[in-house]
Amino acid sequence: MHNPVVVARQTLAGISNGMLLFLISAGLSLIFGVLRILNFAHGALFMLGALIAVSLAAVLPAAAGSFVVVLAGAAAGAALLGTVIETGLLRRIYRAPHEMQLLLTFALVLMLGDAAKLIWGRDEQSVAMPALLTGSAHALGVSFPLYRLFLIAAGAAVAVGLWLVLHRSRWGIFIRAATMDRDMLSALGVNTRTLFTSVFALGAALAGLGGALAAPIVAVGPGLHVQVLIDAFAVVVIGGLGSVSGAFLASLLVGLVNAFGVLAFPGLAVVLTFLCMAIVLIVRPRGLLGTVE
Amino acid sequence: MNHAAPLAAGLALVALPLVLPDFWMFIGVEVLAFALYAVSFNLLLGYGGMLSFGHAAFFGAGGYAAALVAAQRSLPLPLMLVLVPAAAMLTAGAAAVLIGLFSVRRAGIYFAMLTFAFQMLLYTIALKATSLTGGDDGLTGLKLPGAIGRPVGYYYFALALTAAGLYVLHRLVHSPFGATLRALRANALRVQYLGVDVRAHRLAAFVASGAFSGLAGALFALSSGNVFPGWLNWTASATPVVMAVLGGTATFFGPALGAAVYVVLEVVISGHTEYWPLTMGVVITILVLLAPGGLTGLWKTGFGRARASRAVPLSTGEAR
Amino acid sequence: MSEPVLTVESLVKRFGGLTALDGVDLTVEPGEFRAIIGPNGAGKSTFFNALTGLLPPDSGRIAFSGHDITGEAPHRVARRGIARTFQITSVFGDLTAVENVQVALIAHARRSWSAWQRARGLGAARAHELLDLVGLASSAARPAATLSHGDQKRLELAIALAGEPQLLLLDEPTAGMAAQERLESIQLVHRIAIELGLSCVFTEHDMAVVFAVATRITVLHQGRVLAEGSPAEVRARPEVQQVYLGEAA
Repeated sequence: MHNPVVVARQTLAGISNGMLLFLISAGLSLIFGVLRILNFAHGALFMLGALIAVSLAAVLPAAAGSFVVVLAGAAAGAALLGTVIETGLLRRIYRAPHEMQLLLTFALVLMLGDAAKLIWGRDEQSVAMPALLTGSAHALGVSFPLYRLFLIAAGAAVAVGLWLVLHRSRWGIFIRAATMDRDMLSALGVNTRTLFTSVFALGAALAGLGGALAAPIVAVGPGLHVQVLIDAFAVVVIGGLGSVSGAFLASLLVGLVNAFGVLAFPGLAVVLTFLCMAIVLIVRPRGLLGTVE
Repeated sequence: MNHAAPLAAGLALVALPLVLPDFWMFIGVEVLAFALYAVSFNLLLGYGGMLSFGHAAFFGAGGYAAALVAAQRSLPLPLMLVLVPAAAMLTAGAAAVLIGLFSVRRAGIYFAMLTFAFQMLLYTIALKATSLTGGDDGLTGLKLPGAIGRPVGYYYFALALTAAGLYVLHRLVHSPFGATLRALRANALRVQYLGVDVRAHRLAAFVASGAFSGLAGALFALSSGNVFPGWLNWTASATPVVMAVLGGTATFFGPALGAAVYVVLEVVISGHTEYWPLTMGVVITILVLLAPGGLTGLWKTGFGRARASRAVPLSTGEAR
Repeated sequence: MSEPVLTVESLVKRFGGLTALDGVDLTVEPGEFRAIIGPNGAGKSTFFNALTGLLPPDSGRIAFSGHDITGEAPHRVARRGIARTFQITSVFGDLTAVENVQVALIAHARRSWSAWQRARGLGAARAHELLDLVGLASSAARPAATLSHGDQKRLELAIALAGEPQLLLLDEPTAGMAAQERLESIQLVHRIAIELGLSCVFTEHDMAVVFAVATRITVLHQGRVLAEGSPAEVRARPEVQQVYLGEAA
């Protein structure tokens, strides 16, 4: 049987990757649930977060608080861009045919990808891990990279925070209601325009945060925005469009499948992920915990 | 419908090799292949009301099938000329049957996502089945022997096959099947009540569209001399959508025009800057926001917002 | 004594906790012009949906001229000779009126799979005949979406007739029309039904319309048949008056 050390290592890797996946997918899922748009540009927002982190880390002193500033800056920057995108472009195509929506978000992928190249160059960038988080923790004879543990903690914190916002705040209740019945909302007098913008900004912020968190351990280069989107899509479908808890569950699932799949048979994990995605769409389109019909 | 413009274009295409140097033959073939691709894609979108976001799977499958057949050097040329397109269409068609059987059970955005998922599956296979597909390196050095393998010869070969493909698709679209498809797009629920098996008709359209997309992939593969897994990556699936919408999905030849413009634009712009994606992104944005009817739409009615009336009915119209 | 054209036995349909149809029994004889009335929420549209296979029933039996069609898919039910119109007018918007009927004729002639022949003009003569029958001859070349509400309803009727049905199911055929138009509209359907020998079941809210043409009335209430009989009989039943007829009779 498998070496327990390896199993533990891979489980950790799977869960921590799952957390990064969750940060992208949560936003993607919410955006679809409320705006009914598949935001292909979501990967670009993730990548932007990572690139902002690169830039901020380069100018900030290597102090403990700097990393927090980096994370906040990335989330804010992504949220700002998200707001611009939503109000300037997306808002005009909410009632357009699907192919127009697809094309516009795809156009964003193209433009943002090249914009990133123009601003940050074509080379791979990197961010040094914050000093406090380098190294490993040791337990039960196994060593775990500290940063990965931090990622798990951060991801869990975001998940809890999101849950609180969605279930305990007025904004959150509107968001959840919107994923179930949008028309009812405007009938109740809710300003759907502002709601839509805020949801998109929230999703963008989460993606940007995810990118910044991922920057120390991921190759930040051209094409990142295309790569990360694929798994995010699968997660969002499997977890259920519009459901954050579904995205959480599915992210962990996919993260673990990928981590262990790499051991068994390299291509298998990807195949499994997409097979799952297809099966969910065929058998139960609402996904594990979805609310959108 | 007005046949003057397409006929004129057809004549121009036949005369092309007489006026342009060999380099343009490659571009010409690219235009032909993508025109066929875009028109067959539009069979689904413009006529059937189905948005497939996994069509590159069929283009790629056709390309790989053609490559594998063309690599069999021992085959006599006449047989090769028949087998290459046949293999491409059969492979792509078979893939479309398998993918379609599952995908047509859903409609709208779920259908699109299913096609996306299946395409990514095929992409993974293309990447990993190294012994068959060459893996990441793809298949290269593809070329037909003899005069057909040379630029002008191959151009006429591609022209003949494209014309044949377009002719078949044209008849399909103007047949009772085509009329049923159009009704399906307008109101899938009502069509059921006419006694029409919606799923079966959608599947048939899907397979036809896939098969001809495969032919297009084959034509392009043998011209460019190679085929890569990247042809099956999800970003490649946006290409037929862009071309079809760019030309205009409301007419039969609109997408062909869109393909021609797209290919020429790409050649010209890529020659001047590496930021072709940025340029394309801007073009698409302008297209979607200001000219959703595409170039043929602009020709007919001028600029305007994306009209909701073009939308595929979402609630009462769609059969699940 | 010929076979009933439609027999429904103990039809039940539930949606989660809600029972929309709670054991409906119904028999329609050939040539009848049956009205189904009942307050909103009584289950009328659900009944049609269950009959035509759009929502397979949870239990019960449906027979059409003796054949069991319980739970059959809509396109199969249609092929057997049942045509249906919808409460919210359902036509092919971007096709012209005549094309709408042509498509229906193509489907009826089982030509929807014919992929090589030219469709233009196919069935045009018959399509124009049907448009004439419903009074739409002058609008034949107009896109269906541009027709008035009343004309779209006529088009729906023409589409339904294209299938040469034995049974017509009309879901609120006069919905959205002004009072005078409603009477004219239902009388047109009635005339056509007699001329072509069709049986017809229609749901309706307007009592004037019902009493003008119905040969028999079924009253649905809370998913069950409350009363059934000739118009005079139903009118006189106290429970019907209580539940429904109060204002309009």
